[in-house]
Amino acid sequence: MALFQIWLVKTLFSVKIVSTFMHSAWGWPICESVHFVGLSLLVGMIATFDLRLLGLAKGVSIAALHKLVPWGVFGYALNVITGAMFLVTEPNQYIYNPAFQFKITFMAIAGLNILVFYGVLFGRLKHARPNEDTPRGAKAVAIVSLSVWIGVIVCGRLLTFYRPGDCELKDAGFIATCIPHVPRGTR
Amino acid sequence: MDPFFIWLETSALSVWVRESPSVFAFPIILACHTVGMGFLAGMNAAIALRLLGFAPGVPLAAARRVFPVLWAGFWLNAVSGVVLLIGYPTKALTNPVFYFKLLCVALGLVVQTVIRRRLLEDEQSDVPFWGKMFACASLAVWTAVIFSGRFLAYTYVKLTTT
Repeated sequence: MALFQIWLVKTLFSVKIVSTFMHSAWGWPICESVHFVGLSLLVGMIATFDLRLLGLAKGVSIAALHKLVPWGVFGYALNVITGAMFLVTEPNQYIYNPAFQFKITFMAIAGLNILVFYGVLFGRLKHARPNEDTPRGAKAVAIVSLSVWIGVIVCGRLLTFYRPGDCELKDAGFIATCIPHVPRGTR
Repeated sequence: MDPFFIWLETSALSVWVRESPSVFAFPIILACHTVGMGFLAGMNAAIALRLLGFAPGVPLAAARRVFPVLWAGFWLNAVSGVVLLIGYPTKALTNPVFYFKLLCVALGLVVQTVIRRRLLEDEQSDVPFWGKMFACASLAVWTAVIFSGRFLAYTYVKLTTT
């Protein structure tokens, strides 16, 4: 795993155009601001939808409210783009950062949760009457969604407090949480 | 202002926020501020997008149901914001961008109140043109709050009095 992380950092460093922009006077702050706007869109639409699944605003048809979800996806897309820009500029600061590793884990759980929702539940829910109560499974999905997205935000915000230091490759462990020193001439 | 800054900065709460090595001091307070932002700005955006005609099947009056959550986000940020301010009073209060942010928050609350009282109150389903303008204003103002908040970290002139 640590060797994979070293390869990943090397590959990410090679995207030079993005890092030139990011190192310009306002590149980084602008991307951060857009990342926060995207976060708000994502949370605003998804949390509203999750709360409807949990029973708040019963009387609103799930299919009608679902029309806002594409805006959450738009926010997510903004964050994938800006997030990738941070990543290729300072890969060391993310790939070896435990807060980033937790953030990615939470995002993976969120992704699986979305697959469960659309694979198993949404087909029936979109035909539900506005006042109908949602099944337990839908409520569970909503709780998982709310929790993991909050987890993603918290981990993202904690990144700067868990900046990795340097270490020797042999001390890096299975998943490195420090920047392994790679001797010259080796990979 | 200097004696006031010194007094605030040497208070126990300020020192704890700024200097405690605990993740539950500055880092978690900052994370709470970000979560609250997501709920406050995000739910305002959801309401604005409904007013602009996306999700027309959602009754306008039903949009009022998100207000308790939206206010929870607001109060989480009011409290965490004040605590962060106590931690770094000089940094924020000597920076014009901070006052711009506060002005935008105030404007955002005014727009939000007008939307709630004038557009979400009765069972109407059509949004007048001025209502759509208010929805755009809401999106713009909360975006400005987010940008100015983020830029605080890059525009301050003095971090502390010492």
